[in-house]
Amino acid sequence: MSEVTNDLPEATGRRLEELEKGLFTSDLSVNEFLLIKEVGFHPVGFVMGSSIYHTGIQTRKWGQSLELTKLTEAMYNARELAMTRMEEEASELGADGVVGVRLDVNYYEWGKDAAEFIAVGTAVKAEDGVSRRNQLGKPFTSDLSGQDFWTLLQTGYFPQGLVMGTCVYHIAHRGLGQTLGTTGQNVELPNFTQALYEARELAMTRMQDEATQLGATGIVGVRLEEKSHQWGSHTIEFLSLGTAVLKTSNDVTLAKPTTIITLDN
Amino acid sequence: MTNGDVAKSPIDAKAEVRRAVASLAGKAPKTESTTSDLSIDEELNLHSIGWEPVELVSGVSLFSTPVGLWNWGEGEITSASEAHALAFKYAIGRIHREAADAGGHGVVGVHVERRVYSTHIEVSLLGTAVRPVGAKSVEPSNVFVSDLSARDFTLLMVAGWEPLGLATGASFVYAPRRSMGTVLQQQSQNVELKNYTDAMYSSRESAMERMQQVALELKGTGVVGVKVVEGPMSFAAHAVGFAAWGTVVRLVSDAHHFVRPTMVVSLNDSGVAFDAQSLQ
Repeated sequence: MSEVTNDLPEATGRRLEELEKGLFTSDLSVNEFLLIKEVGFHPVGFVMGSSIYHTGIQTRKWGQSLELTKLTEAMYNARELAMTRMEEEASELGADGVVGVRLDVNYYEWGKDAAEFIAVGTAVKAEDGVSRRNQLGKPFTSDLSGQDFWTLLQTGYFPQGLVMGTCVYHIAHRGLGQTLGTTGQNVELPNFTQALYEARELAMTRMQDEATQLGATGIVGVRLEEKSHQWGSHTIEFLSLGTAVLKTSNDVTLAKPTTIITLDN
Repeated sequence: MTNGDVAKSPIDAKAEVRRAVASLAGKAPKTESTTSDLSIDEELNLHSIGWEPVELVSGVSLFSTPVGLWNWGEGEITSASEAHALAFKYAIGRIHREAADAGGHGVVGVHVERRVYSTHIEVSLLGTAVRPVGAKSVEPSNVFVSDLSARDFTLLMVAGWEPLGLATGASFVYAPRRSMGTVLQQQSQNVELKNYTDAMYSSRESAMERMQQVALELKGTGVVGVKVVEGPMSFAAHAVGFAAWGTVVRLVSDAHHFVRPTMVVSLNDSGVAFDAQSLQ
């Protein structure tokens, strides 16, 4: 999709300056904080990016399944704005990457079709001073938790970036004849099945394309979310999200797991 | 109770309140027993690093905000931001005093509850006061307050860090309204709403910076477990707010102690995978 270029809103200056002086902020839990330290990283700051975005209108045809490109574009654009701003904050802090990224969409009473897209995470920096940025020279981003990050690194893989694909799709209503014809029968509804398939495929393919751009060899922790947001029942956004990873070393240091039965419940 | 009973024995609410306030000012009665909301394993965790729970303590504060504050204006809603800061400051001060009176050196597992209404801002803190086993009591100003659980507190201490206190920051800002022309013009477009984005950024930056300021004053080197609450007020769509809080920490030992985690696979059931009730 289109490249988003933007600058951080003006207010961010002083907070980031203070963080450069050595204080760090982080939304990591203590466990996650300790695990990040364990693999040689130090948190440098809680970073965020957000954009409040107005989605346009696109007419749909009652009986036709098709992608609503204008809405897809809006969902992409707004998320890109939020993600890019978060990455810029991390860059400004001299971070190597951002872990525990959460992407959210919040709807408020700001009138119809306006939503806040927000990306938050903790920027981290390698303690040995060697840059761990991805091949585009940007801080890597990842929605893995501190625990997952630690485990991934033990297996010789390294996160390259949070990748996503989205597709807003309108699924055709069934005609009266079709509805009557299938009443009382066990039957697959091919138009629904096909529409859902196609929309999911589009979203997944777009995600994979982003991973390829980063030179990644895999995507872990993929989630597929389906939401109707505020568009009514037949318009659905398919969003797939995951962390693109690259094998960077052949040492697997992950010990054989011990099996335990915990005594608490 | 019927209406007749009320008439016969009217409750003197004012006297009740006065009695309750007076009892708060005095020292808590000295008892040998302890109260805490910790679970058994949390208590064992604490004991493993030589600490013990002493008492369940709380601090509450409520600040009123001027009438009609939220609806019209420009820039930051300073009196709301101040009310928020003061409510937190007073609540923290009170929980410090209660903990010190009970003989605690710190408060862990603090539940932070904050509510913003159109007329007032309310903050309440509830947690368990803890101290090194058998230690003497300290001045309220030396007590730390942390929203980390007892388990997290133990982990942090084992890694050579200590909590110093709770840092908070909040800011409320008016988002300028779009003109009718702009609203109509943007109706069918994909477009970023600059007025809201800028207002959110400005409130967020001030709030985070205030939190960092508190952390620096406490001589911390980091803030962990930061929680944020953000968005427009439910009662005033054109006022946006951002609040953040977290526990300030500092490295006390010479170097960070690595914890060397072990890989485990729990054999406990992860839960009920299939519930056949609907097939009855």
